[in-house]
Amino acid sequence: MKIVSIDSVSKFYDGEKVLDSISLEIDQGERTVILGPSGCGKTTILRLIAGFIAPDAGAISIAGEMVSRNGRIIKPPEQRNVGMVFQDLALWPHLSVKGNIEFGLKAKGLPKIERSRRIRETLNLVSMAGYADRKPAELSGGQQQRVALARALVLEPGVLLMDEPLSSLDPELNIRLRKEILRLQEKLGFTMVYITHNRDEAFEIATRVLDIFKAPLPFL
Amino acid sequence: MAKRGFLAFIVILLLAIGMLPVLSMLIKSVMVGGHFTLASYRGLLTSARQWTLMGNSMALASLITTLTVAVGVPLGILLGKTDLPFRRFFTVLFVIPLLIPPYIIAVSWFDLLGREGLLVHLSGISATMTAGFLFGLPGCVAVLFSIFLPIPMLLTMILLRTINPRLEEAGRLVSGWQGVMKGVTIPLILPGVLLSAMLVFLLSFGEFSVPNFLRYDVFPVESFTRFSAFYDFKAATAAAVPLVAVMLILLLAEAAFLRERTYQLRPSPEIGGLSLIGLGTHRKWLFASVAIAGFVIVIVPIVVLVIQSAGIDAYAEALNRAGDSLLRSLIYAVIGATLLTFLGFFTGYLIQTKALKLWRSVDSLTILLLALPSTVIGIGLISLWNTSWTNFIYSTPIIIILGYLAKYTALTSRISVAQLGQIPSAMEEAAQVAGAGWFRRITFIIAPLARRGLLIGWVVGYIFSLRDTGITMLVYPAGHETLPVRIFTLMANGSPQLIAALCMIMITATLLPAGILWMMPSIMKRKAIK
Repeated sequence: MKIVSIDSVSKFYDGEKVLDSISLEIDQGERTVILGPSGCGKTTILRLIAGFIAPDAGAISIAGEMVSRNGRIIKPPEQRNVGMVFQDLALWPHLSVKGNIEFGLKAKGLPKIERSRRIRETLNLVSMAGYADRKPAELSGGQQQRVALARALVLEPGVLLMDEPLSSLDPELNIRLRKEILRLQEKLGFTMVYITHNRDEAFEIATRVLDIFKAPLPFL
Repeated sequence: MAKRGFLAFIVILLLAIGMLPVLSMLIKSVMVGGHFTLASYRGLLTSARQWTLMGNSMALASLITTLTVAVGVPLGILLGKTDLPFRRFFTVLFVIPLLIPPYIIAVSWFDLLGREGLLVHLSGISATMTAGFLFGLPGCVAVLFSIFLPIPMLLTMILLRTINPRLEEAGRLVSGWQGVMKGVTIPLILPGVLLSAMLVFLLSFGEFSVPNFLRYDVFPVESFTRFSAFYDFKAATAAAVPLVAVMLILLLAEAAFLRERTYQLRPSPEIGGLSLIGLGTHRKWLFASVAIAGFVIVIVPIVVLVIQSAGIDAYAEALNRAGDSLLRSLIYAVIGATLLTFLGFFTGYLIQTKALKLWRSVDSLTILLLALPSTVIGIGLISLWNTSWTNFIYSTPIIIILGYLAKYTALTSRISVAQLGQIPSAMEEAAQVAGAGWFRRITFIIAPLARRGLLIGWVVGYIFSLRDTGITMLVYPAGHETLPVRIFTLMANGSPQLIAALCMIMITATLLPAGILWMMPSIMKRKAIK
């Protein structure tokens, strides 16, 4: 089953074409990695799927439902059931680990008991039990990474978008966390769209690699 | 070595210009005939009048702070974060009252609501009722609210631009804008909002021209009256001490709890641009509300002055009676702005690069001087420079310029800190490894890169020097009065038409450079296209 469909999408920034009529389909449970150099429009694809920006032309559907089309956002980000791990992680510095994870659960209106249960389970899943009350600044780079992952996973998203999440880590930690992400994906079965410019990382994680180094985006 | 030596010289200059006068004033108030005495301060805690003054000052500052923050923060969010139409125009409109001398707004409302005011003439409403509202606490709150509203508004707008857009987007994946504002954006800008509240409190606590005009007894008015009417230096200093004490307490609190968190007010990298909130169906009524507020707060006072001053006669008389003061004001403001830009640039450089260990104290000193009431700085300057040896300063416009430098260096310094913070340290380092000495690096690398901040600093320095009333009123030597001082003294016996015309001239002289600066980007863009 197709979970994400990008149909002839173009995007301009300040009059310059960043994406030129690209099309892409992603299957349920697939681990799609977009591999490419900086400035080729990888992040723009993720931001279009998330709903932060609208395509200037073309349409995007998630789970069979049209979410944006021809410059118009039909479904805002919070209604798309999409999770995202940002390149700089974007952990809220004023909230604790628990607060970061709980934010989305509160927004969904879940009762406190349910929220506590899911926070506990997700922290266990990413091996961060015992860190709930820490602030992001009190964690190491790898721990922050796990919290960002937990924050995205706790809402059980239909698609998880990952924007070069490991690029700022040292090689050893990078390799360790790749395995961690793979373990979680295999356990939970979520669909993943992953962006990187690291070839090893791409081929280790992906079930499908879209290599923009080889073929530019319009020909996807 | 050249760098540290020059920056140390700047610190000494700041101490001599700003701190020495205040210390001199305090020392002289406790020394009589070479002996230490607290006689001037005896009545400070026991006199009922002092407590009334303290109560009035606190009530005024608290009310203004509460109102400006309650309105300014939502207004800042509307203008800085939503798709409200004409946001740039409204931003400029609401800032205007902050840029002109505060009492001009009071004069305008007096022309509208006073016993001989336009409203009484046009509508027949009882003059007792309108004047009753205008004089005392309600009038002071209303006038100072319109003047200080831009502070929380602008700070909110700046703070919103410092938030990493990714933090909000992470929230947008799970919640609407309302939830993101409540849970992410507002908590992140809260320290800055508290800082703006403190700034408004300090400025309204130290403001004297509006309470003086609208007859509301507060400490700065008392201190000013004691000095200018009775020339009672010690009583004036004693009346200023509670002001200094409150300022110090608040500034210490700011340094302890807020400064670290509000230091780095820099725009966040905007990958994909700042996300704006779509107002949807609320757009129309919010636009109407902002337009009405702008009309009442800014346009009405200016229109009243225009109506009141209508006719060439009033302007001809104004220029005839105060043309020399206008010229002096312009010259002093240009000199003041240039020196403020210079001093602010190097103070900002010192704070930004932490080049000397006492950088934090230098920052605190400039902020303390900005927060201190003008009356305190004015009395301090007279106390220090009124000697036969230093008459070349005391009896010449130099003392006015020193007053500007003492009071307003914090403004140009903070602008420099923000601008220099955006220049990567590698820029200077690259010049250093290329063999350039510090002065060369500053002149050919850092200053050109910071030219936008220098230009903004100059305009801000010009506006605040030109609008200054409190310090100039106390220190101006005979024959050197500036336009704001001239208007203030003419208010006692000049015709309303003349005063209104002078106020309009003052507004034009103040806003002209700000207007040019505002239009400069589009002029340069047009040139570039050609």
